[in-house]
Amino acid sequence: MTASDDYDGPILEIEDLSISFFTRLREIPAVMDFSCKVMPGEAMGLVGESGCGKSTVALGVMQDLGVNGRVVGGTIKFKGRDLGKMSMEELRDLRGSEIAMIYQEPMASLNPAMKIGKQLMEVPMIHQGASKEEAYARALEVVTDVKLPDPKRMLNSFPHQLSGGQQQRIVIAMALMSKPSLLILDEPTTALDVTVEAAVVDLVKELGEKYGTSMLFISHNLGLVLETCDRLCVMYSGEAVETGSIEDVFDQMQHPYTQALFRSIPLPGADKNSRPLVAIPGNFPLPHERPPGCNFGPRCDYFEEGRCNAQNIPMTSVKGFDRHRSRCLRFEEIDWDAPLAAVVTNAKSEPGEVILKMDNLKKYYEVSANALFGGSKKVVKANETLSFEAREGETLAIVGESGCGKSTFAKVLMGLETATDGGITLDGASIGDVPIEARGTDLVRSVQMVFQNPFDTLNPSMTVGNQIIRALEIFKIGKTEGERRSRMLELLDLVKLPREFAGRMPRQLSGGQKQRVGIARAFAGGARIVVADEPVSALDVSVQAAVTDLLMEIQREEKTTLLFISHDLSIVRYLSDRVMVMYLGHVVEMGDTDQVFSPPYHPYTEALLSAVPIADTSIEKEHIVLEGDIPSAMNPPSGCPFQTRCRWKDQVPGGLCDKEVPPMRRLAEGHEVKCHLSDEILARMTPVIKIAAE
Amino acid sequence: MEPLSTFQVILKILLILTPVWIGLAAIFALSITYKRRLGLFGKLFDSPIGMIGFALVMFWVLVAVMGGPLDMLVTHDALGQVSGMKNKVPGTPLAGAEEGEYAWYLLGGDNLARDVFSRVIKGSWIVVQIAPLATVFAFMVGITLGLPAAYYGGKLDTVISFLANLILAFPVILLFYLLVTPEIVETGLPSYMAMCLFVFPLIFLFLLLNSKFHTRPALRTPLLIGVLGVGLWLYFSLISDKGTPVSFMPSWLDLFDIPGGILVIFVSVVFVNSPTVFRIVRGLALDIKTRDYVAAAQTRGEGAWYIMLWEILPNTRGPLIVDFCLRIGYTTILLGTLGFFGLGMPPESPDWGSTINEGRKLLSIYLHPALPPAIALLTLVLGLNLLADGLREESLKD
Repeated sequence: MTASDDYDGPILEIEDLSISFFTRLREIPAVMDFSCKVMPGEAMGLVGESGCGKSTVALGVMQDLGVNGRVVGGTIKFKGRDLGKMSMEELRDLRGSEIAMIYQEPMASLNPAMKIGKQLMEVPMIHQGASKEEAYARALEVVTDVKLPDPKRMLNSFPHQLSGGQQQRIVIAMALMSKPSLLILDEPTTALDVTVEAAVVDLVKELGEKYGTSMLFISHNLGLVLETCDRLCVMYSGEAVETGSIEDVFDQMQHPYTQALFRSIPLPGADKNSRPLVAIPGNFPLPHERPPGCNFGPRCDYFEEGRCNAQNIPMTSVKGFDRHRSRCLRFEEIDWDAPLAAVVTNAKSEPGEVILKMDNLKKYYEVSANALFGGSKKVVKANETLSFEAREGETLAIVGESGCGKSTFAKVLMGLETATDGGITLDGASIGDVPIEARGTDLVRSVQMVFQNPFDTLNPSMTVGNQIIRALEIFKIGKTEGERRSRMLELLDLVKLPREFAGRMPRQLSGGQKQRVGIARAFAGGARIVVADEPVSALDVSVQAAVTDLLMEIQREEKTTLLFISHDLSIVRYLSDRVMVMYLGHVVEMGDTDQVFSPPYHPYTEALLSAVPIADTSIEKEHIVLEGDIPSAMNPPSGCPFQTRCRWKDQVPGGLCDKEVPPMRRLAEGHEVKCHLSDEILARMTPVIKIAAE
Repeated sequence: MEPLSTFQVILKILLILTPVWIGLAAIFALSITYKRRLGLFGKLFDSPIGMIGFALVMFWVLVAVMGGPLDMLVTHDALGQVSGMKNKVPGTPLAGAEEGEYAWYLLGGDNLARDVFSRVIKGSWIVVQIAPLATVFAFMVGITLGLPAAYYGGKLDTVISFLANLILAFPVILLFYLLVTPEIVETGLPSYMAMCLFVFPLIFLFLLLNSKFHTRPALRTPLLIGVLGVGLWLYFSLISDKGTPVSFMPSWLDLFDIPGGILVIFVSVVFVNSPTVFRIVRGLALDIKTRDYVAAAQTRGEGAWYIMLWEILPNTRGPLIVDFCLRIGYTTILLGTLGFFGLGMPPESPDWGSTINEGRKLLSIYLHPALPPAIALLTLVLGLNLLADGLREESLKD
């Protein structure tokens, strides 16, 4: 066909790229002096915190920067041709056929009014002028390739009829329809559950090998990049700071930011008492307030006045490595293997008395198919026989994917819903059927919650100070305005925010700062039990560590019981004393952190552990991929809730898994599992995560 | 004296409006100087469309205020007839002008020999008074019903939404005709409706203040007594009118009497507008009540009205402000329509709708009495729509 088919140079070559956005106030440089090269068949990871410019690079490659964005310097070459010099027609030809992109939200990338098959068939029909039959055959082939069950039915359905994981597979299929040379994936799995994410990542890797596609994989998750990519490029505040092969960057990093990033994520071995995480001090600079010289300078441990902030710092090659470059003046002087400077270790706090007790808690919702004319009533069993105890000052993690009932449980505890059956006892008083309106101030202020989404947790139209004062007023703390005001300032000190923040509006705060205000508000009334619903999952990694530490510190001081809801097992292992794993409303495993994270496992815990990406090259994981999606709570499977996806099912004789819900069994002191597997089989289980001998 | 040429007429009108131009220039100069500190209002001055809309609206507001209560711009008495000026074309010299009188009918005379220019200016005051006020009342009703409908949902929502649909399904003009029919006025229906509709702002204010300040009784009690006292007095003055079935206040206490016709117009405009506002507020609140900060308020045991009025309502303000501007425009047109049908307003009223209707009868012979009020109506509504567009555009940016 064309000359580009026998082209064997780099697929994508970006040189000194600078992209700026122009607002009415000023020019905002989003990407500066960015270079990278993607060779055929290579997967390049682009890692960085939000706002570092990684998605802008992707949009720049697609030449789709919108009205405000413009490439202000450098070139982007695709197969040796400069994309910036192409006409609109040439670009249109290229997009979707030679370069394909996969976005974060699968539902937003599919046209909800068109059948899947038609959307897929459009690609070859537009780009290669294929006939309808050819296009259909190709669509069928690709849908089979992305391992969707019943491909023909899939092609004939609308996007809303599929689950999130299936939709993302369809988006991947669409990107592969024209066998592109370059695939750009912009956080393709962020919206998915961990076990589904693992399956999708697996698929992407496998297809990349099968089709020989080069990939540009954008993610904030270092573990995910480790699993998918050959090389990576770490970005900070619009610049690439370090680039090299996965092994080089992970094991022999040559930039202080990369090092700080690794120290702030909870890897196996980190522990809240003996080896706490090290948060990166300070905040991410705003694009128009970048410091002179090195952007990371003000937050860097190795900063040298008059040198690091004197001039712009170029990327330099690291000697002795293949294509490993770092943007640091001092990388050759720094002793990279130096152990962490004395970290503050904390004595393990002993849990006190039992203060919260759940006893066979059940929460059912009635959903009728047709509200007006009765119709058949369906019961959604959001929580089934939930029993546990929580002690003063301990951290109990509740782990599970979406739909497992963890949020419903939080609602019942907070009093936003009342329990269908069973009881909740707090300090000996039953609160399970007391709705929030009927709860006294004392009770309300002793059970509080920290919410997931930092951008949603504060009322956008009220100043930070007033929101905290309002909580104090409601909790009847302080007699006068003045007293409440000074208490509010103390609370800001407690969560390590400057006192000036009292007069700021939430939109002037970063995500991490908002989450701190949310924590201050929850602790305003001296809460005894705090439910933290994924408090850090929406934050950047470097901020996560700081917020987690803060939460732990306050907990230690106030002796609060923390119920930490999360799907992220790394952080759970890091901070919790006990763990409870939930699946479809059932508690499937419960025990001390060490008991849950080592065999014997419940089969679901085992799969979860295997699914979580870990950013450590020395870790070896057993590869377990769960088939299919989480069943709907409206229509749960018979017998054991996990039996549809369990890989151990055939080990149980007599099809017991299909018939009966297993009872809760005690394996050891404080370790319980809901499974039919016999003791011998459980004893034979091997650890999922192994740290390779060094 | 010679009649004025078209050019001279325009020049003289521009000259008479000098105070308006000065006012407009001052407002624009101030706003543009401080636009970075004025929030959404300041951003408006980044959008040419918004600026044009704002200029048109402010032009009419200034004309109305200066021409109405201040009595500045008008050249002749809006109701006064001068013999010999019947249906005279624009620029005709005043017949038998005396010392101190303005010597021309700048936009001609109507079929009762009144000055068209002065009538348009006097009419603007009526429009600028009623339209925003009626819209404010409609918003109070819509918000007070829309928030609980969305927040509680269930049966309450079904019932209120059904009533709103019922009102929306009723033909507006027919409703107006019914309301102004003497027999119906005699039964007191419009007065009773006024009683119901005008109590909503009081409820709204009470809930707004009580939900926020109930934690501080020392501040709450005097504040509520003050606000509700004044509110109730205004309310009773408003609904108690002599000559209607609802007349109970002694005249020394009664602050003002609303002419029966205007009250009917007011009531009907509020009545037909509030269901639409209700639906908008309900839709916005349904979205916002799923936010975490609403859940946070619930978990700290806030009252339902605090959550509705202080957590949800302030965050719906963007779309509501835009709708408010658009709705003043609709209301203005509605007032014009009512005047055109001769509903409510006294026959000699200078409001634009009635004037257009008057002028319509001789439209094929004399165009000039009907044209100025029509253009006035058009520019004001256009201005409001452009203003709303500008606000919407600017509130979405950044």
